[in-house]
Amino acid sequence: MIERIVPLHIGSVDISYTNSALLMTIAVALITLLLVAGTRRRAMVPSRLQSIAEMSYEFIAAMVDENIGHEGIEFFPLVFSIFMFVLFGNMLGLIPYSFTFTSHIIVTFALAVFVFLVATLVAFARHGIHFFSFFFPPGAPVFMAPILVPIEIVSYLSRPVSLSIRLFANMMAGHTMMAVFAGFTITLGLFGFFPIAINVALFALEVIVTALQAYVFTILTCLYLRDAVHLH
Amino acid sequence: MIARFEMSEGGQPDPLARLGERLDRARSEQNRGPSNGGEPPPSGLGLGFRIGIELLASLLVGLALGWVADRFLGTRPWGLVLGFFIGSAAGIMNAFRAAQGLGRGGPRPGA
Repeated sequence: MIERIVPLHIGSVDISYTNSALLMTIAVALITLLLVAGTRRRAMVPSRLQSIAEMSYEFIAAMVDENIGHEGIEFFPLVFSIFMFVLFGNMLGLIPYSFTFTSHIIVTFALAVFVFLVATLVAFARHGIHFFSFFFPPGAPVFMAPILVPIEIVSYLSRPVSLSIRLFANMMAGHTMMAVFAGFTITLGLFGFFPIAINVALFALEVIVTALQAYVFTILTCLYLRDAVHLH
Repeated sequence: MIARFEMSEGGQPDPLARLGERLDRARSEQNRGPSNGGEPPPSGLGLGFRIGIELLASLLVGLALGWVADRFLGTRPWGLVLGFFIGSAAGIMNAFRAAQGLGRGGPRPGA
């Protein structure tokens, strides 16, 4: 549930500071804390915190290198920020009484549209007018163009939609399932033990899903950027 | 921890001397193992989700474009109809590509 913590209105636009925004702030603060504290003492034998920071760095660096290529390292800050933000958003939502901002489609859609715009702008900057050749598969006969080009354009435009729906649906489904079983616990009374057992198992599954969905979101970001850099 | 262990053995005056060598060995062992690029094994549910969403998203975009075209060109209902067909075609194409590229993020089949 969205709750307004600090109600703010500009004209008719509601820009209140909600619990969703609060969780985003917490996520950014925690990421900053992790990375700053983790890299403060750069020990040869890393502490746990430093290990976490280094592992997440290397994980994304390898992913960027593998999917975009060596020159793709200039996108590393963007990809790393997106990964950490989504991951922390998903993970923080697992804490009881907190809020999962990635379970709201407007948040994931904003993230996805941002990625999409960056990829498109990069493609335009790198390839200029040649970018439009992306919408016509090479080797196809020219008379097919009136059919193929609209299909390719729609397929390209559907990227942010599918990207955002995937993250949103996965987070939403997990939460709904947990809530349903938690509801059973109350109605079943004494036998409420069973739904709780299921919920414990589901919780473990949810931990995997949060990490996996952050990974999927990030790798698709990489793939879209790869398309933008290399075209085809 | 390993370094400290070797120091207490007393055999190594400088535990860092062979560190580079040990790291290289560990890395080469790591690289020899079966590497699937860090891709997690796809689960059935995740696969279905992925392809279903791919289909749905393109259809939605096609319909939305058709609807907007109708609104501004006054061609109701033909824009929506056309958008539906183009969206479905794009959806099937995307689902096909998603299914083909499952093994690796790999080259787009259209390319």
